[in-house]
Amino acid sequence: MTPARQRGRRCRPWWLLAAVWLLAAVPVDGLAAELDEVLARGELVWAADQEGGGPHVYVDPEHPTRLIGFEVELAAMLAAELGVKARFQQGQWDRLPLLLGRAADCVINGFESTPERARDWRCSRPYFAYALQLVARRDSPLDSLEALAKEGPRGPWRVGVLTGSAAEIEIRRRSDLAVEVIGYDGTVDCLEQVRGRVLDAVLMDDCIATFNADRFGELRGVGRPFAGGTYTILTAPDTPRLSAAIDDALGRLITDGRLKALYDRWDLAGRQQMLLLRDAAEVPPARRGSLADLIRGALPLLLRSAGMTILLSVASFPLAILIGLSVAVGRLHGPAWLRPFLAGYVEILRGTPLMLQLYALFFLLPKAGLALPAIVAAILGLAMNYSAYESEIYRAGLKAVPAGQFEAALALGMTKWQSLRHVLVPQAVRIVMPPVTSDFIALFKDTSVCSAITVIELTKRYSVLALSTGRIAELAIVTALLYLAMSWPLSLLSRWFERRLERRSERAPG
Amino acid sequence: MIEVDSLAAIRSGNRILDAVTLTVAEGTVTTLVGPSGGGKSTLLRCLNGLETFAEGRVTIAGHTLVAGEHPPRALERVRRDVGMVFQGFNLFPHLSAIDNVTLAPRIVRGVPAPEARSRGLDLLERVGLARFAEARPATLSGGQQQRVAIARSLAMEPRVMLFDEPTSALDPQMSAEVLDVIVELARGGQTMVVVTHDHGFARRAATQVVELVAGRVHRAGPAAEILAGAGG
Repeated sequence: MTPARQRGRRCRPWWLLAAVWLLAAVPVDGLAAELDEVLARGELVWAADQEGGGPHVYVDPEHPTRLIGFEVELAAMLAAELGVKARFQQGQWDRLPLLLGRAADCVINGFESTPERARDWRCSRPYFAYALQLVARRDSPLDSLEALAKEGPRGPWRVGVLTGSAAEIEIRRRSDLAVEVIGYDGTVDCLEQVRGRVLDAVLMDDCIATFNADRFGELRGVGRPFAGGTYTILTAPDTPRLSAAIDDALGRLITDGRLKALYDRWDLAGRQQMLLLRDAAEVPPARRGSLADLIRGALPLLLRSAGMTILLSVASFPLAILIGLSVAVGRLHGPAWLRPFLAGYVEILRGTPLMLQLYALFFLLPKAGLALPAIVAAILGLAMNYSAYESEIYRAGLKAVPAGQFEAALALGMTKWQSLRHVLVPQAVRIVMPPVTSDFIALFKDTSVCSAITVIELTKRYSVLALSTGRIAELAIVTALLYLAMSWPLSLLSRWFERRLERRSERAPG
Repeated sequence: MIEVDSLAAIRSGNRILDAVTLTVAEGTVTTLVGPSGGGKSTLLRCLNGLETFAEGRVTIAGHTLVAGEHPPRALERVRRDVGMVFQGFNLFPHLSAIDNVTLAPRIVRGVPAPEARSRGLDLLERVGLARFAEARPATLSGGQQQRVAIARSLAMEPRVMLFDEPTSALDPQMSAEVLDVIVELARGGQTMVVVTHDHGFARRAATQVVELVAGRVHRAGPAAEILAGAGG
């Protein structure tokens, strides 16, 4: 028997997630919204990941401005039972519970009941039953669940799973299988990778497999669904009354048949039968909608998200420059006791990932009593991260100003700060203009990292749309064009500055 | 106006100035001459506190600097009354000629901008550069830059002017332009100390010539006496 190889293909910052989860396990005091607060607000904020896809929560391919899915309707029904409106909050799936008590009242997004979740959060009664389905290509030698026990023609079977899902827990637990398990952020990603022959198979909730069956006509279910379980609604540990109210509402939906009507409307039971029949008869899958329609629908959304990208860049970069310049001046001309602190600031921010800094600002700062809105945390995180780089650039720029300039300013009776303000800094700013402009372009693209803390900017919007429509390449081109349309003028500007500086130095006598 | 008393400066263990004592009377011109490395520039830079000294004392324009580190406030007060012109001009390249001249009066003395400008234009007129007021330093010749630098120093109305080899970076033609301006200033009664290799200038304008050799005052006296027999 081959021991299971259980290594992630992508280098995930697991230690980082572990740290965030660990801290998240500490109860949040006084931040969570209890039932009365939800009622007073008139809104039940529920969190889910629209990138995770259907049938739970996804973007309507026909109308990309609309969010649909059986959980969208369930949330609306539950909110109505409480006498309030439902409001959606986006988050990355495996970190949705961290939003509880901060940005969301509950999480409704296919979270399987597990003992760990019951320990860390309040879990409602089950609202949906799932089983795990293995999906592979029609032409794959992997034709039964039993085949997983022996290695395939290329070694251990490469099986994709959604990170943190019950499928991942189940397959990693099975040491008798000859599989390499690879964690992904979305299940549709896995299906794409199976189609592209990067993966041999994907293990996912059966409802997701049947939902995507038309788009992935080359794939089929392998064996029968197995290892089932139920979905639960998560609420924060310190909101017992909200939790009970949601649970009661869910109970009413189940007993009076409204939940069953919802599932019938979504065809969450019968469709699986039809697919079994289709696969047996090898009926070709349905065709996709027209590209022109898709782009017409998606473009306004992409443009709006491009606006967010621009907002994040233009709000954070001036701040980065301001902090960076102050740090540079402080390190070169500030009091001696301050310099090690500033050097430490630069090294810490330069030496740790931007994503970790964003997590710290958004998920950890609230533990210290300072809850920042996601967009503020994003702008602040980007500004601080880039300020470290800018301060190094400005430090070099200040050093590049000839010493005679400082002496000439001092000899005229200026104070050190007047010399800096009127003589040294203006010259340094001119010297470093090209690298600073180039950094602005880099920051502009780094804004995509902010999707990790629930900000939906251009890359995240692309990702959501691409996965819900399957138009991965086409939308990628549209998105890339949008980025280029925004960054190219910046490049031109940077080159113009460079030429101007060159001309000036040519004129200067040697 | 200036009294230097037993000044000694030490750099990496070497006494590059030693027991330097000299006096400069108000309204006179003193030139510092001597071989390279003799300590002329260092002495000049000690006079406005750009360099520190280990022993002795300097009294200049009513201010006193003692050995060791000087507090910034004291230095700022000295420098408001003592102008300096550098060998390399050190004009501020990001500012026009007139802005170079008006910057310090505006921010150090608090002179209102229109007044600083009209006085600055007068000074540029005086050094023959009024029509270059809006020019950036990089577009001016070396001689023109040095004349702007002189105007910039004069704008602070210093009681003493220090010149650190003001013509060494210039060709003879440009040197002459600059020296004419300095001689003109001397005739107007400006107290000044000039480090120079140009004995012609020393003969023409100096009240007193001090020769520094290896950090010590080798000879001091009227120009005719000290420079007799020396070349140049």
